[in-house]
Amino acid sequence: MSQTVPEDHVTVRSDPVDANDAVVAIEDLSLWYGDFQALRDVSLTVPKNQVTALIGASGCGKSTLLRSVNRMNDLVPGVTVQGKIHYEGADLYDPVVDPVEVRRRIGMVFQKPNPFPKSVYENVAFGPRLHGFKGDMDAHVETSLKRAALWEEVQDKLQQSGLGLSGGQQQRLCIARAMATEPDVILMDEPTSALDPIATDRIEELIHEIKQDFTVIIVTHNMQQAGRVSDRTAFMHLGVLIEEGPTERIFTNPQHEMTERYISGRFG
Amino acid sequence: MSLAHRNDADRRRQEAKRARGRTFVAITFVPVVLALALVATLFADVITDTVSWQIVEPAYTTESWSFTEGFAFFSTWENVVEKELVARGEDPAVVLDDPEERRKFRLRNRVELLWQLDGAPLRYVVTSSRDDTVADYGFFEGLRQLDAIRAEAGEGQEVRLNPWLDAAFLTKNASRTPVMAGLGNALIGTLWVIGLVIVFSLPIGVGAAIYLEEYAPDNAVTRFIELNIRNLAGVPSVVYGILGLYAFVRVFEFGPTVLSAALTLSLLILPVVIIAAREAIKAVPPSLRQASYGLGATKWQTVSQVVLPNAITGITTGMILAVARAIGETAPLLLVGAAAFIPRAPEGPLSTYTVVPIQIYSWVAENDVEFAHVASAGILVLLAVLLVLYGAAFYLRRRFERSW
Ligand SMILES: Nc1ncnc2c1ncn2[C@@H]1O[C@H](COP(=O)(O)OP(=O)(O)OP(=O)(O)O)[C@@H](O)[C@H]1O
Ligand SMILES: [Mg+2]
Repeated sequence: MSQTVPEDHVTVRSDPVDANDAVVAIEDLSLWYGDFQALRDVSLTVPKNQVTALIGASGCGKSTLLRSVNRMNDLVPGVTVQGKIHYEGADLYDPVVDPVEVRRRIGMVFQKPNPFPKSVYENVAFGPRLHGFKGDMDAHVETSLKRAALWEEVQDKLQQSGLGLSGGQQQRLCIARAMATEPDVILMDEPTSALDPIATDRIEELIHEIKQDFTVIIVTHNMQQAGRVSDRTAFMHLGVLIEEGPTERIFTNPQHEMTERYISGRFG
Repeated sequence: MSLAHRNDADRRRQEAKRARGRTFVAITFVPVVLALALVATLFADVITDTVSWQIVEPAYTTESWSFTEGFAFFSTWENVVEKELVARGEDPAVVLDDPEERRKFRLRNRVELLWQLDGAPLRYVVTSSRDDTVADYGFFEGLRQLDAIRAEAGEGQEVRLNPWLDAAFLTKNASRTPVMAGLGNALIGTLWVIGLVIVFSLPIGVGAAIYLEEYAPDNAVTRFIELNIRNLAGVPSVVYGILGLYAFVRVFEFGPTVLSAALTLSLLILPVVIIAAREAIKAVPPSLRQASYGLGATKWQTVSQVVLPNAITGITTGMILAVARAIGETAPLLLVGAAAFIPRAPEGPLSTYTVVPIQIYSWVAENDVEFAHVASAGILVLLAVLLVLYGAAFYLRRRFERSW
């Protein structure tokens, strides 16, 4: 797996995304943690209302790429970024752009469920409150929980602590919490890696449903999961985007030899 | 064969290891037992010291009244005083109906519930500042020689088992007469001082902790400040007293007041408060901050709505421990002018004051065995207060640990 990627590697693209369908367009993005370069000239267009999966061996920069999209990497000291991420006609890394606003529009779900030690209700209401939500909060919380397919299970425990839910329920609560700020894009970093198979199933179903309203970028280590939930897949290796295209194509007919080896489980 | 041999050797080595472990446990165990024994002895000594046998020659009467005779809802005092005045051959109405006479009577006499030897154990007596204590015996000494003491008590004298620490002790004020002395004004003084200490040190300490933990750039200046805070926590408290005397009493001219004391003690505990608050803030899981930032919260929103609410138990625990320390401080307050005897309770930040440990200190310094009992009673009250505070801190810490 320590196979190096040639300096001049050009990402292999099959069936490229039409610029008109793009929500987020990453362009020549490089990122350094101090001296260490974690991303090398990554370009990736993310189509609206589709699920894009990022796959690749551990340490290849999937999380880094994901966290660049909502500028969570700004919080890590010593990070430098080069390149652009186009979103709604602006460059997210333009100095005039407020990262706080970016994170409201591009929500995030983390690997380990991390509800606040507050009630279920307050967890969901947290984001809207931050941004001065004026409408009917009860209704908004209910809608968000329904979209996260959690309402049935928690409607009687809205005032109980979010930490009292099961792991899978907690993760769906986090998804509801992310959706409650009405983002356009939801980033998910291995959202099911801490969950059992049944809870994983539910989250995968959920991802299928929410893509009508949101664009999803998901990092996963689980090939089957990538195959099940995503429309497009991007394969990374050592900070380089090796290949991207429709999921079916990537899985059945990868163009690059590294992709092929990763998919068939011969590496990583 | 070789396998069995190796097992034998193994077993021996295991055995030796276990033996070494036991020796080690024994070595660490001894000091713990010694320390516990010492603390127990100290407590026992202080507690028995708060009870003494006394031969008293009352100035007026040797009357006493059983609990059922003396007790009356909300008017026990009037009830007992009336009986006493009748026994003294005076007119109760003269004292009880005139506020000024009442005040004077109160200053020189106390209604106390004492252990008496004869009749029912608990009896009301009115002690007067003119009562003469003929002799005073320690609790155990008195028990051993009770008959001799009884025989010693002459005409018009009586033997009393005096529990120095009773409810009245908490409200009685400083007095030259040991039986009359109590912690009243000192407790009010401590409440004032500590109240102000909390008002000053909590916002400043938490604010500084938030700044250092969340906002301060990681540079030489910050590291220098951090180092100094840690060092300041170890500076002897008397040094803070000198600082307080110079800065607050003299330069700002607050004089020997509650305010000077509170400011001095605030400085004293601030490093501890800051360190505790920083630890509490640090202990908030990073995943919660990430969640907050991920929802588009600003730094300040994250700090105020996620970090602080989750650090609050830790901050409170640290604050309680710091306050416990401030309550017991004596040296710096001696310097910034706590008085040993004050005529009335402090009424505000600019009043003169005394506090519990200073009061105890002044009793210990008295050249009178009876004041030693009073001091013991004071120490017991102080220890009880500290015990409650440490208990609260312990309880909070346990709960805090359980929450994740
Ligand atoms: N905060 C950081 N400081 C320094 N280096 C980092 C930091 N975060 C990540 N890295 C490095 O950047 C590279 C990419 O990390 P990243 O977390 O993006 O990988 P990943 O593909 O998400 O891996 P995994 O599948 O294990 O989560 C790794 O080599 C990692 O060691
Ligand atoms: Mg990762």
